[in-house]
Amino acid sequence: MSTRASALQRRRAHAGRLFVLPNLAALLVFMAFPLGYSLYLSFTRSDLFRPATFVGTANYRHLLDDPLFGIALRNTVVFTLGSVLPTVVISLGIAGLLNRKLKGIAVFRTIIFVPLAVSAVVMAVVWQFVFNTDNGLLNIMLGWVGLGPVPWLVDPHWAMVSLCLVSVWKGVPFATVVLLAAMGGIDENLYEAARIDGAGELRRFFAITLPLIRGALSFVVIISTISAFQAFDQVYVLTGGNGGPESATYVLGIMLFQHAFGFGEFGYACALAWVMFAILLVLTGLQLRRSRQENS
Amino acid sequence: MATVEFDQVSRHFPGTDHPAVDNLELAIGDGEFLVLVGPSGCGKSTSLRMLAGLESVDAGRILIGGTDVTDADPKQRDIAMVFQNYALYPHMTVAQNMGFALKTARRPRAEIRERVAEAARMLDLEPLLGRKPKDLSGGQRQRVAMGRAIVRHPQVFLMDEPLSNLDAALRVQTRNQIAALQRRLGTTTVYVTHDQVEAMTMGDRVAVLRDGVLQQCAPPRELYRDPANVFVAGFLGTPPMNLFELPVHDGSVTLGDWMIRLPRTVAAAGPRIVVGIRPEHLSRCTEAGVRIEVSLVEDLGADAYVHGRVDGAGPVIARADPHDPPPRGSRVRLAAGPEHLRYFDSSGQRLS
Amino acid sequence: MRTTLPRTERTIRRSLLRAAALYCALIIVAWCALFPILWALSGSLKTAAEIGRPNLLPAQPQWSNYAEVFTLMPFWRMFANTVLYAGAVTAGQVFFCSLAGYAFARLPFRGRDTVFLLYLTTLMVPLTVTVIPQFIIMRVLGWTDTPWAMIVPGLFGTAFGTYLMRQFFAGLPADLEEAAVLDGCSPWRIYWRILLPHTTPALMVLAVLTWVNVWNDFLWPLVMIQRPAIATLTLGLVWTQGQHVSRWPVLMAASILMLAPLIILYVVAQRSFIRGITMTGMGGR
Repeated sequence: MSTRASALQRRRAHAGRLFVLPNLAALLVFMAFPLGYSLYLSFTRSDLFRPATFVGTANYRHLLDDPLFGIALRNTVVFTLGSVLPTVVISLGIAGLLNRKLKGIAVFRTIIFVPLAVSAVVMAVVWQFVFNTDNGLLNIMLGWVGLGPVPWLVDPHWAMVSLCLVSVWKGVPFATVVLLAAMGGIDENLYEAARIDGAGELRRFFAITLPLIRGALSFVVIISTISAFQAFDQVYVLTGGNGGPESATYVLGIMLFQHAFGFGEFGYACALAWVMFAILLVLTGLQLRRSRQENS
Repeated sequence: MATVEFDQVSRHFPGTDHPAVDNLELAIGDGEFLVLVGPSGCGKSTSLRMLAGLESVDAGRILIGGTDVTDADPKQRDIAMVFQNYALYPHMTVAQNMGFALKTARRPRAEIRERVAEAARMLDLEPLLGRKPKDLSGGQRQRVAMGRAIVRHPQVFLMDEPLSNLDAALRVQTRNQIAALQRRLGTTTVYVTHDQVEAMTMGDRVAVLRDGVLQQCAPPRELYRDPANVFVAGFLGTPPMNLFELPVHDGSVTLGDWMIRLPRTVAAAGPRIVVGIRPEHLSRCTEAGVRIEVSLVEDLGADAYVHGRVDGAGPVIARADPHDPPPRGSRVRLAAGPEHLRYFDSSGQRLS
Repeated sequence: MRTTLPRTERTIRRSLLRAAALYCALIIVAWCALFPILWALSGSLKTAAEIGRPNLLPAQPQWSNYAEVFTLMPFWRMFANTVLYAGAVTAGQVFFCSLAGYAFARLPFRGRDTVFLLYLTTLMVPLTVTVIPQFIIMRVLGWTDTPWAMIVPGLFGTAFGTYLMRQFFAGLPADLEEAAVLDGCSPWRIYWRILLPHTTPALMVLAVLTWVNVWNDFLWPLVMIQRPAIATLTLGLVWTQGQHVSRWPVLMAASILMLAPLIILYVVAQRSFIRGITMTGMGGR
């Protein structure tokens, strides 16, 4: 190898390091270091005023005993199931509906994907208005069909329903875009062969479309689960920072925020965050393993 | 009786200036192997897809077994199709691919298993039944596509260029297998290809299409010997028929220095006609004929072709003796007997 | 003259019926997607008394509601802040992530692939884990309640942005730069020259995604900001909502004002939005 070539290589390597440096530095400072630091903090007692004191696994043990954790965990599971399942099912249906050549379908696609762009927080404010017991649109529409007004955000059970509804509304367009893209990758000939083989539209959907978008479906489920598990923004705005009526919407995200920035218990909050992370890792791992088994 | 009939069928894609299929009139007999052939864009695939029910019909009727199926769904037509890229369901095994139609029709499991096994035997697919399409070679996938069609025991087989994705050697072998299979099963088959060699070797009859219009439909020999127009004459046969457009003087045409007396009906057809001579019918002669200078010799071993040019008429190809082809640059005199000359009028139609 | 037999009436009717059913379903779904926004729009133009009534069109549009928004919150100030933060972070992201993405894809340096693996692992880390230490870092730096906290963390790019750009650069044909390398062009010039014509779609996607993310961010401003003077629009809205709980017309007007820029961005940059979402989908596969 001539020295000229290696000089070129060295110059390029040097440039490479330089190009990556700012990005990497930011990542280390704002991502990697906080990751380690929060793990450390989870083993300490620490707040705004006093420096951190090491307490071993006390935080984790307290977490297990803490009734708030139990409530938050239960609510989070309910919320996750209640938003991810409908999101996946509905977006499958909508993607199936949009996956065709129909005149003007582009317009519909544009409209249906609008919730993608808008802010979850602003929409939470808007939905508060929609859910309003006295003036909200939903209760007005229920009144038309003779059903009594529903205390959407006031009643503990309905509050969770309202929360799920908002999440589904926001989450469906994202899932639909991903699923629709996956559906678009399916060879048209396969559907023609299926038509000749006698399969009607529904059978084609279940026998061909669904199996062939398994990867995208798995992705949607994972992303939706992760996001629902950590939900904070819309919960805080819709039902407040204290967990809504009778703590019905007291989810893990709210508990974390409350303990970190309300009570100032950083150590405990970090322990909570790591427990959440661990649960998510397990869930994601299980889902990935299941999809890998299906694909083999 | 699985006859197929195209009754004045047309298809005009919106936004195009001429129809993809223009007034196709074709009757296919029970058990016949009919090949639709033509250059790309001629409408052969569109015609096949209309027969399958995958393409809508703008005018005319399509009949299968005497029943009007023009507006029927594909599944109501009792047909099976082999696609160019096979369209195998990638997530299903070979056995599941082949059994899909029967499963959709809710046939009993035992019957499905038996019919799949039968088709697999016919096509040597038994060891592959548990594999997925991605684990198969191109030739194996092609056989699975065939198997999927056979299992259905349909009235009509439709095949859309099933060999074009195979390499040359495999293509020849598979071509023969398909023809043998069809003879054995006796199912009416409509076969689309752009390859005229396939058309000539496989079809009971061949329908030549161009720009959506049927040029001629006849057994291969007849197409070769009695082409209905200039296009068919030039399309079938390799190397292609020599075609010369020449002015008529006094009841004859002059090809180079060869004066050809025209039959009376031909001479009366117009001021210009086209004379067609196949390369294998041009032989060396000492008198009469046309004198050309050999510009190129193609020595193919068992065959040889010489290329030359006739002034005022165009290039000419003639078959030569492979053991003693005339050398490049030499001058030879070529002629063909009157029974081998084909005449076409200036619009390309055959004159008899 | 051809004899043409027309399609039977039955099949024409059947295909029309099917089309009608499809359009019906599509309209219902579209309505579900839009009705909250439309309802907010309608509410923003109603009087407080009218707010409870089901009519979509207000009797007399109360544009004064929109004017009132500006008295209840320092809208323009917050708008400017949000634009500043989103703009700065987007510019920084696009530049530094594409630079790093190019380096990871094309420049040979030791440990390159291991470092990139590190990037990929951080993609999985949820926000909740890092937010507290990030807050502490900001405190230590004295940046709490300052614009620095809003700009600096994202300014030099994120792992996701670099991942996106790296995948894109890796997908570009190598011969694009080979000629330039042989000519002795410096890596910087190659990046700058290749960058401009060929990576625009990916840059657009990254820019749009980043902009929208910062614009809509809530948790971080909530944690970091106390002064309205540097607050973002989303924060401002939630504060206003807390202070003026049932003043629906004005709150809806404020919401519409905040939704409008993003909706306009969406309509304009729709393709980039969609491509961005599907790119994350592809990456997840």
